[in-house]
Amino acid sequence: MKDVYILAIESSCDETSCAIVKNGSVDIATVIATQIDIHTNFGGVVPEIASRQHLKNITMVIEDCLNKAHMTMDEIDAIAVTYGPGLIGSLLVGVEAAKTLSLIYNKPLVPVHHIKGHIYANNLNKTMEYPLIALVVSGGHTELVYMKDEYEFEKLGETLDDAVGESYDKVARVIGVGYPGGPVIDKMAKTGTHEYNLPIPLNDDSYNFSFSGLKSAVINLSHNYEQRGIELNKENLAKSFQDVVVETICKKTLKALLDKDVKRLIIAGGVAANSGIREGLKKVCEEHGIDCSYPDLKYCTDNATMIGAAGYFAYKKGLRADSTLNAKSSVSLT
Amino acid sequence: MKTLYLDTSSSFLYTAILEDSKIIKEIKEKLDNNLSVYALPRIEEMLKDANININEIEKIIVVNGPGSFTGIRIGLTIAKTLAWAKEIPIIPISSLEAMSLSAGEDYDYVVPAIDARRGFVYASIYDNQNDKFVMHEKHISLNVLLVALESIQGTTTFITNDNIEVDYNIKPYDPDISKIVENVMNRESVNPHAIDANYLKLTEAEENKLKEEENDNGN
Repeated sequence: MKDVYILAIESSCDETSCAIVKNGSVDIATVIATQIDIHTNFGGVVPEIASRQHLKNITMVIEDCLNKAHMTMDEIDAIAVTYGPGLIGSLLVGVEAAKTLSLIYNKPLVPVHHIKGHIYANNLNKTMEYPLIALVVSGGHTELVYMKDEYEFEKLGETLDDAVGESYDKVARVIGVGYPGGPVIDKMAKTGTHEYNLPIPLNDDSYNFSFSGLKSAVINLSHNYEQRGIELNKENLAKSFQDVVVETICKKTLKALLDKDVKRLIIAGGVAANSGIREGLKKVCEEHGIDCSYPDLKYCTDNATMIGAAGYFAYKKGLRADSTLNAKSSVSLT
Repeated sequence: MKTLYLDTSSSFLYTAILEDSKIIKEIKEKLDNNLSVYALPRIEEMLKDANININEIEKIIVVNGPGSFTGIRIGLTIAKTLAWAKEIPIIPISSLEAMSLSAGEDYDYVVPAIDARRGFVYASIYDNQNDKFVMHEKHISLNVLLVALESIQGTTTFITNDNIEVDYNIKPYDPDISKIVENVMNRESVNPHAIDANYLKLTEAEENKLKEEENDNGN
């Protein structure tokens, strides 16, 4: 079969990225212009600043990617783009650029759901096999997805409030360790002990998550200690918090795997880089004979490579958009 | 020279395909929140009606603001992607300048104004007789602008499509695209990678941060 080259664009949050991916599995070239340093000054992503940066970066990122791949647009089979969910102003820059390229070069335009991209980041490591359960954990998402077959998605559950990454950021702010909170708390937790008692959130039989109560419990605990003039051990608090997060994630994920009688788990999204969550899930999977995999660290955070991987399967399925494609801040998986 | 004119900086789409400064086809349409959906398809249709392929465009003139932040980015992304891909010159023009160029000659002074909310406008003051701006474009409180206008001798009209309440004559904005293009087409073009929006205003987060820093310095 002829090789298929997808040029993919991702701009849903604070990374402007372009990639060229071969057959949904080979990263030919990836370019990411990150804005993390700018947003760190504001303690989180400022949507309007992110949009402004995307506009500045977009054509440069595409050009760098083509140069890196030593390819021209003529060699590209289709253009894939993240159309949602994400920050609307940010998404629009990528969508307009992709639509314009598609029109100029007369290439098919393939719309890709951001979460499907995160899931298909796993295909860049090894070929995904089905059925599987995908756990998507990032700064904006916490979802359990059942995939019966290639590019078929069924959402089993999701967070009812904060995403898991969001709760890390908020807790990091409370303990005063800065932004982004995930990597910092993960590191601190390694040297801490589980000293503080925190409630297991949404401890029920659903596949849904809730992290805002847990975050509030951490804030209350912190205020309580402050009032009593006792210093909290930050490492121990990080460990206590992370343990609860890992426990709730493992419990719900395992339930999905057992209920659906599926022997494969893939982890996706920026928080898949979290070592506590990785190790917790690995252990649970080993106990139950489940094959557990996650993307390379570089494909965990937002990037266009994963959009190119998902875009290939969407392209194969015949999914197309025309020049009326619009960006959507929220869009369901199925 | 086949030139594409594009302005998505307001709730309207203003676009035209021109041969030099002669309009071949133009579209003026209120699209509001559908700008992101229809801006590009309308350009596509316009080119089709004019029997011109997008690859035949030799120059782009694009309005880069001020106005709707999102709107500006839609037009600029289309324009800079096209200019980069086809390696053709791209020339930015301010929305306020495009408005003053379209105002006609029947008033001594023209005040193009765009609502910037919270009592503010993006505006400039153009002297029609001497063909120059007497107040360059600014993000300015409407009250301050009105005080500035009191010192001006001569007939004055606002030009705006927004709901701005003033005691001056108000002309609705209907772009004279031929005249705008004629005026700017020989200006120096900008590298497509470097072309950027002319927001005239920092983001709120940046403004608040500046205020904090000023307060810190004051203490």
